[in-house]
Amino acid sequence: MESDAMDSAVALETRSISKKFGGIVAADNIDFKVYPGELRCLIGPNGAGKSTLFSILCGFQQAESGEILIFGQNVTKKLAFERVRLGVGLTFQTNRAFHDLSVRENLAIPHFALKKDNIKVENKRLDYALGAFGLDLNDPTKAGELTHDQLQWLEMSMALSSNPNILLLDEPTAGMAEEETSKTGKVLKFLNSIGLTIVVVEHDMDFVRNVAQSVTVLHQGRIFAEGSVEEITSNEEVKQIYLGKG
Amino acid sequence: MNTALRLISGEGDIGKTGVFWISFLFVVLLFFIYPSQVSAFRASNSAYYLLNIPLGMGMALLWGYCGVLSFGHVAYFGISAYLYGIIAGNLSENSWGPIIGILGGLGGSAIVAAVFGYFVFYARVQKWIIPILTLVFTLLLETFLGQTAGYQWRVGSVLLGGYNGMTGIPSFQLGDYIFQGYSFYYYCLVVVLACYFFLRMTVNSGFGKVTIAIREDELRTETLGYDVRARQCLIFVLSAVLAGISGVLYVQWGNYVTPSQVGLLQAALPVVWAAVGGRTSLLAVAMSTFCLGWITFTLSSQGNQYAMVIIGGVLIVTMLFFPRGIFLMIAEILGRWVSKISKGNT
Repeated sequence: MESDAMDSAVALETRSISKKFGGIVAADNIDFKVYPGELRCLIGPNGAGKSTLFSILCGFQQAESGEILIFGQNVTKKLAFERVRLGVGLTFQTNRAFHDLSVRENLAIPHFALKKDNIKVENKRLDYALGAFGLDLNDPTKAGELTHDQLQWLEMSMALSSNPNILLLDEPTAGMAEEETSKTGKVLKFLNSIGLTIVVVEHDMDFVRNVAQSVTVLHQGRIFAEGSVEEITSNEEVKQIYLGKG
Repeated sequence: MNTALRLISGEGDIGKTGVFWISFLFVVLLFFIYPSQVSAFRASNSAYYLLNIPLGMGMALLWGYCGVLSFGHVAYFGISAYLYGIIAGNLSENSWGPIIGILGGLGGSAIVAAVFGYFVFYARVQKWIIPILTLVFTLLLETFLGQTAGYQWRVGSVLLGGYNGMTGIPSFQLGDYIFQGYSFYYYCLVVVLACYFFLRMTVNSGFGKVTIAIREDELRTETLGYDVRARQCLIFVLSAVLAGISGVLYVQWGNYVTPSQVGLLQAALPVVWAAVGGRTSLLAVAMSTFCLGWITFTLSSQGNQYAMVIIGGVLIVTMLFFPRGIFLMIAEILGRWVSKISKGNT
């Protein structure tokens, strides 16, 4: 109990999470910690277990063993929506905004889940993101009519709409051109600078170099390396697994 | 007041323009005038087409807005009908009997739907299995009710009646006034309009938006902080209560009910109404329920054996050529027309 209280200074934590698919170990005893105010990138080659870890964190899959804590609360057995209510915002690798609803409705939906007195809370992060992405809170356009980039941004804004304390993004820049990628990176950096904790699963090393403060490298279901961007990018072993020489 | 207006005339259903609301009021007015032009018998027949509308709209809500197909919603129609018969029948000396019967009938449907919905949605049963489970449930109910012939199957003074059904069910009554013929028609009309406006406000509210979001993408809605299971269960109960309203109106209209009301043939009808009308619009389904009810009733009362074959044909034509529903597609064409004309004028 005492250690739980001490670790509530940790935003997100996994304690020896393991998960197997048939004979393949997708997560092998992962101890992963993110502190409040961090902007962490989670990287690794294909099949390293990034997606598995992400879906275990979100509650889409249950780990076979281990524990998950969000702001010191044990959420191992909790369902996805219960974790979200603890202050987690998340987006998917594939775009999953509601195409049949308008932009306005898409952004309003996260609100209805909140208690009444929270609705009026000023959401500076959302306002900033909408401004930077060029989206309008009252846009009646159907989300299905937006471009791919706008849809990705809409999803991030939806996640921000419920005013989360931690944002989990699964490849937010997938399919974006260079300019849009760098815009996304700038927005995430700014949101982080005003206090939002962010974890990004990424593929694109340029994006990681530009955005991340700290990086966790996964390889074969294990944490392979962890450290600052400089440490990781200059790590020879990391270069090897990325180039497939490992 | 403004909120109420916004909720009534929102994006959740077809028709928000002035032209629409004027025509809507005009049609409602026609429905109110209609009885003065026809016999009590004709008015009573029209009441029958009206009384199915809540069941149809319940299907639209559940299937069209929430994305869950129930193939056995007539079960809740039947439960309400039988419970009303039992309660009102036993309280036939009491002028409050029918009202207590209505509450008991609808309450019974809601409780059964909540228990059924709990097991289906909280177990996260896959979507395509739900129509089968609901159909099996209503067929079981039919089989059970079918074997209730004989004196041992009675509740108080009311006999369940097996395949011959329950007879002599009291009509609706307020004080000493009994609703029959013309007055029953008006009673149905008011109930149907109240259900429509209630549902239209529901689908335009935040609750309704979340319902549509669940239809679009369950997991995404859950990751925005919603207990999708609870929402689906609630919508299921609400649509069961709507089916129950139709069930109660049905027995108040005909004063009898048989197990075939929860049988396979009847179970298919609400699905047909919703599909032909356009399940994503309450109004389109309300209109198709009325029209298809009228066609079926007219054909079968003329001794035509092929009423159901014709209804089946309409369904096939809809599926092939109007996948989103005939009434909905006509409404959309009309809408474009009207906006073109009004643009041309300005």
